[in-house]
Amino acid sequence: MADQHAIGSRRGLKPALPLLLPAYLWLTVAIFLPLSAMVFFSFMTDLPLAGREWAFTLDNYAAFFSQSLYLTLLLASLRLGLEVTLWCVVIGYPAAYVLAKVLKGRSREAIFLLVILPFWSNGLVRIFSWAMVLREGGILDTALNAVLPFKINIDLMYSYPAVIIGLVHSYVPYMVLTCYLTLQAIDDSLIEAGRSLGASRRQVLWRVIIPLSMPGLIAGAALIFVPVVGSFMEPRILGGRTGTFYGTVIEDQFVAVFNWPLGAALSFILLAVVLVILAVASPMLKRAA
Amino acid sequence: MAGVQVANVSRSFGAHRALDNVSIDFADGGFYALLGPSGSGKTTLLRQIAGFDFPDTGRIAIGGESVERVPVEKRRIGMVFQNYALFPNMSVADNVAFGLSVRGEPKASIAAEVQRALDLVQLGKLGGRRPHQLSGGQRQRVALARAIVTKPRVLLLDEPLGALDKALRVDMQIELKRIQREIGITTIFVTHDQEEALTMSDRIGILRDGRLVQEGPPEEIYDRPQSEFAATFLGDANIFRGDATGNGIRLPDGTTIAAASGPSLAAGARASCAVRPERIQISTGAAKPDADNANTLKGQVSKRIFAGNNSTYFVDRDGQTLKVIVQNTGAERLAEGQPVVLSWSPDSTVLIAAG
Amino acid sequence: MATTRILEWLGRCYIVLLLGFLYLPIIIMALMSFNASPFYQLPLEWTTDWYASLWQNDQLIAATWNSIEIAVITTVIATVLGSAASLALYRCDFPGKKVLQALLFPPIAIPWLITGTAMLIFFFGIGIGRGLVAILLGHVALALPYVLVVVSARLQTFAPELEEAARSLGANQWQVTNRVTLPWIMPGVIAGGLFAFAVSFDQFVVSYFLSTPGQTTLPVEIYAAIRKGFTPEINAVSTIIIVVSMALMLLTARFFKFGGEK
Repeated sequence: MADQHAIGSRRGLKPALPLLLPAYLWLTVAIFLPLSAMVFFSFMTDLPLAGREWAFTLDNYAAFFSQSLYLTLLLASLRLGLEVTLWCVVIGYPAAYVLAKVLKGRSREAIFLLVILPFWSNGLVRIFSWAMVLREGGILDTALNAVLPFKINIDLMYSYPAVIIGLVHSYVPYMVLTCYLTLQAIDDSLIEAGRSLGASRRQVLWRVIIPLSMPGLIAGAALIFVPVVGSFMEPRILGGRTGTFYGTVIEDQFVAVFNWPLGAALSFILLAVVLVILAVASPMLKRAA
Repeated sequence: MAGVQVANVSRSFGAHRALDNVSIDFADGGFYALLGPSGSGKTTLLRQIAGFDFPDTGRIAIGGESVERVPVEKRRIGMVFQNYALFPNMSVADNVAFGLSVRGEPKASIAAEVQRALDLVQLGKLGGRRPHQLSGGQRQRVALARAIVTKPRVLLLDEPLGALDKALRVDMQIELKRIQREIGITTIFVTHDQEEALTMSDRIGILRDGRLVQEGPPEEIYDRPQSEFAATFLGDANIFRGDATGNGIRLPDGTTIAAASGPSLAAGARASCAVRPERIQISTGAAKPDADNANTLKGQVSKRIFAGNNSTYFVDRDGQTLKVIVQNTGAERLAEGQPVVLSWSPDSTVLIAAG
Repeated sequence: MATTRILEWLGRCYIVLLLGFLYLPIIIMALMSFNASPFYQLPLEWTTDWYASLWQNDQLIAATWNSIEIAVITTVIATVLGSAASLALYRCDFPGKKVLQALLFPPIAIPWLITGTAMLIFFFGIGIGRGLVAILLGHVALALPYVLVVVSARLQTFAPELEEAARSLGANQWQVTNRVTLPWIMPGVIAGGLFAFAVSFDQFVVSYFLSTPGQTTLPVEIYAAIRKGFTPEINAVSTIIIVVSMALMLLTARFFKFGGEK
């Protein structure tokens, strides 16, 4: 009865078109065509602009595979993504658990909002704020030297750890959000049932809670890993000279070296990696949504 | 106000035939129930009459005017939905006023008509409330007031009482009937509750698998069902299957059952007989059955369910379990396992052609 | 259960630590923007000079106006187009609808670095080039999926019978939308609009690739300044931005429950 009802009342594509077309045309012009164009240009020797010679070529992809630099940097970016994701799990999951299962009522809502609020504020500025904290003679340095009896020199600025800290700070609210949503959906009586069957806290955690919150963990991991692999602004600001990653190389092709076809090829390789990751995670993403 | 004619209407959704050549006449001012199990097509039929969906073939007329291609907003009908569908962003009065206001009627006359409609459903003082501040029964009344204030030609109700609890349901049944009589509007309502259909309507249409099985006044359908489905869906019935004899049937074991009503069937055709559980007299071998109870069967009580004012006996007979309902008159109660004689009159027996 | 108490207490402490990690750098940056020493020396000497000197920085002010203009126009366009599309997806059923819904995912999930460089190449190729028009084209596309997702979530709570009831009372399509559907989804539309504003106003990556020296937005201008070297002025303008974007999100939270409908 229910589906007959739905079928009977729903109209077809024709009345939907005038409402759908503007939005999807816009997405086509500004997202889907550019992505296709990128693939196209990545096979060219130069941009097909007036007066410029161009031809189809595989050189841009050959460059990626022949110069170990690009592959090394891609691996470095993947490693960065993995490390940041792991830290986000380690820091974010317990917080999500406390929010979902310990805190109650209004305080829970307020603190939840406080945790995810920074995620929706300006990312560039938040990365920049770490520069204040991490540099030599910065707050961390001054504070530690004020407390500790011996003199130490904290200068994390322009280092790999600084990049990690900044990125974890940027993305940990995402992990808290996705894990909180799945943890909150777990019925408390399941935990009590586990305990009543003689399981210890640890056993309940590993055999009931974590498996049930896996979709949230995977979704969070995918949504963090993907943008971190493509990050360039964060390594630039916090990593300085040590902050050369795959993303910064792509940036250089477009704003410094002006080798757009190579940049397009590098971008497309990154896109392929990203799509594979999203495809693997997508069943989990759907369940978590 | 106007009658509604549905003629040869069919409607399919993909491979599923939701309505199969349905024809039914709803006379002006009548109160009709469309009764059927879920998936029988009763809601689909109501939505065709309302105009939410159009038939593939066939004709629908309201007040003699063909409307089968007229969209719902132009049909001048009133509809009450199962979950009331009150607009949550409007007050009760604004909900009721909606239909008048989209027609562009002047504000002053709208206010007066809304008040009259709210008074009719006895909610005159609640116009300022929001729907979520009302009880289920009150929402039901608002939905009804909203549907009738525009003076529609026909009132359509989709399981209007389904969401109410039992006591409130009975009150609302009486109330709905009173309001319908007062304004005299042709009313068609969909229900899967046979009791509701029996107590409220002037006529009932029973649907099954998209077809109209039988249509008529409640008494007629109950007393003279034309199919096993109609007999068992509207009320309870014991069904015997055998071969037609001319004035009844012969069961496989040779016993004959006489029936006073039903179609005339050629002798030897497959046929069945239906008899209502409360029409059967149950007795131990000692007592003599009533003189007109020409139909008798022997059996054994397998179970008794006591329900205060009556008892239901389940009687085993030749592999079939028969149901007998006996008023509680204080007479002796039969024990489980006891051999009994069942008897009933041919007048209580309906002959049904094998479907 | 004493252990439970202790664990819960530890859990609360942990949350406080996390909040410290999240907010400390921001608070320090804000404090430093009021520090008279341009080398961030402590103790803090209170001053508002850096905020005052912002007013003299024509380049920053021009970029700020660009940011606000683009964010406002993005909000209007994305909200209208996105809400219309959500309504169509809600009301109508047709083959390929699932594909259309899935197409909203890439703009959100693909790193902005890829989207931004792709836009740069394409807009150059078709002659739009870089500049404010290109930035606006990009921002609307990035904001649209957010509006669609938020408004669609709100529509999920809308009973289709309400539209049917309105039609049965004689309302035409426009009256149904205007008087029944829109009032119900309004909180979602407002939340979607605020998201769109935030996505545009905070957007750095895509703006960065699409901007030219004269036509740029505030975050791009800040990035350039950061790469030249720290100045307390940047702290001041960053503090303003972070306050604005957090306030925007607090406002959004009033209309859209981030934790899902309960």
